[in-house]
Amino acid sequence: MSEQALAHQDVALVDLIDRLLGSGVVIAGDITLSVADVDLVYVGLRALVSSVATAVGEEPLLPR
Amino acid sequence: MADRGLWVYCVARAGDPLPERLPGVDPGHATERIEQGTLAALVSGVALAEYGEEALQRNLNDLAWLERVARAHEAALERALAGATLVPLRLCTIFDDAAGVRAMLDERGAELSAALDALAGREEWTVKLLVDRDALERAARADASGPEADAAAGSGAAYMLGRRRDREVREHAGRLAAGLAGEAHERLREAAVAAVLGRPQNRRLSGHDGDMVLNAAYLVERGAVPRLRALVAELEARHGGLGARLEMRGPLPPYNFVPEGAPA
Repeated sequence: MSEQALAHQDVALVDLIDRLLGSGVVIAGDITLSVADVDLVYVGLRALVSSVATAVGEEPLLPR
Repeated sequence: MADRGLWVYCVARAGDPLPERLPGVDPGHATERIEQGTLAALVSGVALAEYGEEALQRNLNDLAWLERVARAHEAALERALAGATLVPLRLCTIFDDAAGVRAMLDERGAELSAALDALAGREEWTVKLLVDRDALERAARADASGPEADAAAGSGAAYMLGRRRDREVREHAGRLAAGLAGEAHERLREAAVAAVLGRPQNRRLSGHDGDMVLNAAYLVERGAVPRLRALVAELEARHGGLGARLEMRGPLPPYNFVPEGAPA
């Protein structure tokens, strides 16, 4: 088992973005940046993620 | 017009300690707490030249900027988590001033209090299950053993048969992987009060070895963390032959276990 201490660990960026933008309580601040804008960036990032996966020709192991 | 706004990291109970006077996402401004009623928010100032509406649209599309801000936000949350039950907020929740934050704590108070109650004494842990594709295909091949592959060596029929068997082996390996992921998740949720399944990540991006077949988050009573850890070790030992590796991380800011309410 590889359980690592959280502090100073180099958390994968995708993991982090997934958590911080993809979940959690959504509260509309005064500065909006509407939720839709955040979603757009997020979707864009996920698209980037998928295109990299396609580019390296990785087949998913799990049946879809 | 003001030249700074207030970035909100999380909400906690007013009585709980929060990490104040530490550098925030905008390094020029330190973290501070704002209390309203029974709740407290951890905030820090942000320069509107960088975090205002227009600047944000631009900066959020700059991956290096996003990474720096995301890591700073997460670091503040992890420090806060050491002393308090907290409800983490989505990245880039920014108010004009303290009055705006207080108004938010009032308006969303009932929902935030309920979320804090549900999280008290509990921790979010994530578990990723990675397997070795070659080991899985070897296991799948062993399951599908039969003499016919060599029966008509060199013929077109043998070639087609070989192709079909390769495909069947891949499909069977996929089913083995899915079964393993399902079993692991079922066992691990026994130790949890709630569980959330995420998408397994691509190895090129997350930098891990092996194929990720499970990427899950578990909300665990603090006292049950050793049980979760024991289950992880047990699953890894039992499925070592398939190259199974389980990575357990936590406690994390409980992003996966707060209500995803619509904006107020």
